[in-house]
Formats: sequence, structure tokens, C-alpha cells
Amino acid sequence: MNIQITRTETETIIAVEGEVDLYSSPELRKAVLKAVPKSGGGLAIDLGGVSYMDSSGVATLVEGLRSAKKHDKSFVLVGPSSAVMKVLELARLDRVFDVRTDA
Amino acid sequence: MADPSPGTLRVEVSSDPRALGVIRSVLQVWLGLIRFPADRRPEIVLAVDEACSNCIRHAYGGQVDETVELCFSATDDWLEIVVSDRGTPCPSERTECRPLEPPDPERLRPGGLGLRLIREVFDEVEFCRGTKTGNCVTMRLHR
Repeated sequence: MNIQITRTETETIIAVEGEVDLYSSPELRKAVLKAVPKSGGGLAIDLGGVSYMDSSGVATLVEGLRSAKKHDKSFVLVGPSSAVMKVLELARLDRVFDVRTDA
Repeated sequence: MADPSPGTLRVEVSSDPRALGVIRSVLQVWLGLIRFPADRRPEIVLAVDEACSNCIRHAYGGQVDETVELCFSATDDWLEIVVSDRGTPCPSERTECRPLEPPDPERLRPGGLGLRLIREVFDEVEFCRGTKTGNCVTMRLHR
């Protein structure tokens, strides 16, 4: 898994690539929770390059969403790959997140 | 010509989260050998990965030098995957079947999410546990 963080005036973008599983998700969790409070208007998680995501990745996104709400920031998933959409649908959490389809 | 059957495949991996990628790769190959439909492979891989993650996280509590055993078998009609460990038996109330209503994100318990995915993907899911050690989950799917 690779994480790239870009800050713009309005938001912080965290672009994730590769496989998000029990081994790699703690690193993503750390990056997301650290970025939330200083993310300007909010956080955008670019998931277009994610080839695999398990429930620990989903739990990380849920935790990020909760943290963003607490800090009064927006939290949006950008261009989630089919692997991400599949696991969100199976978990019945696909309607919980704001999704932006244009990258 | 009859379908080539690779027979039953048994795999033993360490209880290290880094082994999960290996399991996913092996399972992909096996699903290809039994000619399981390509579009349905990712969800099988996900559910089996979740079962192994539960062994690592809950039964072994993150201890990486234990073992997780997998057994893959298939007939023309069924696919069966058994995942077992020799760790702490999981309390039965945690593996009980719960209705699959959409979860409340405020109350989500990560371990419970894995079980939810396993039950969504497979037609039959059975848990067994040893009196002192060990858990076993048998997952079956009608092809």
C-alpha cells in the first residue's frame, strides 16, 4: 500500500494505492486520524488505486468519518475502485459515505 | 473431457498479517484451477481473508508465530473452505447469526464486520470451537 498526502486551500487529499488489509490498514488509520484536525474544510480519500480492501480498511474509513464529524470537517471518498465499492456494498455501508466520482 | 479437479488443497501459514497476501494469491490460483467464475472470485477471497484475519486478531491476539490452517475443496456443485487455528476459542455469542440490517456506523465493531462479510458471501457458515483451544469455521457455497 502507498499513501500520498496533498494539501490544498480547501481540503487535504489522501491518495491510497494498492492493498488495504489487516497488515497495511494501521498505517492508513494513522494518516487519516492525523490529517483530520488540520485538514482545512475536510478530508478527501482518493481510493481509485485500491486493488483490495478488507473490513479493517472499511473500519478505518468509518473511524475517519466519525473523527471528521467530531471536528466538523467534511469526509468524502473520491473515485472508489470496484474493489472498494464491492466491500462497502457487502458491508452495507455504501450509503454511509459521501462519494465523489470525478477524480 | 471432465473438469480437471486439483483435489483438496491444504495450506498452513503463520499467524502474521503479512501472510494474508500469500493466502489471497494462493486462493486466486485455486479458484482459477476449479474454474470458479472470475467475477465472483474477489468476494470469496475477501471472505476467506476475513476468516484468517479473525484467527490472527482474536484467537491469537496478534501473536505472529502461530499457525492458521486452510483447507480448500470443491465438487461440481459445492465449494468448501475451512479455516482453523489453535488459539483462544471465540465465545459463541460473538459468532451467533444476527440479522443483516444495515449497520450503525456509530456502533460498528470491526471484528463483527468481518463476520458479516463472511455470511454475506457464503451460503453456509458453521463455527466450531475446542473446549480449551482452537476455532474452526467451515464456509460453503453453491456454485
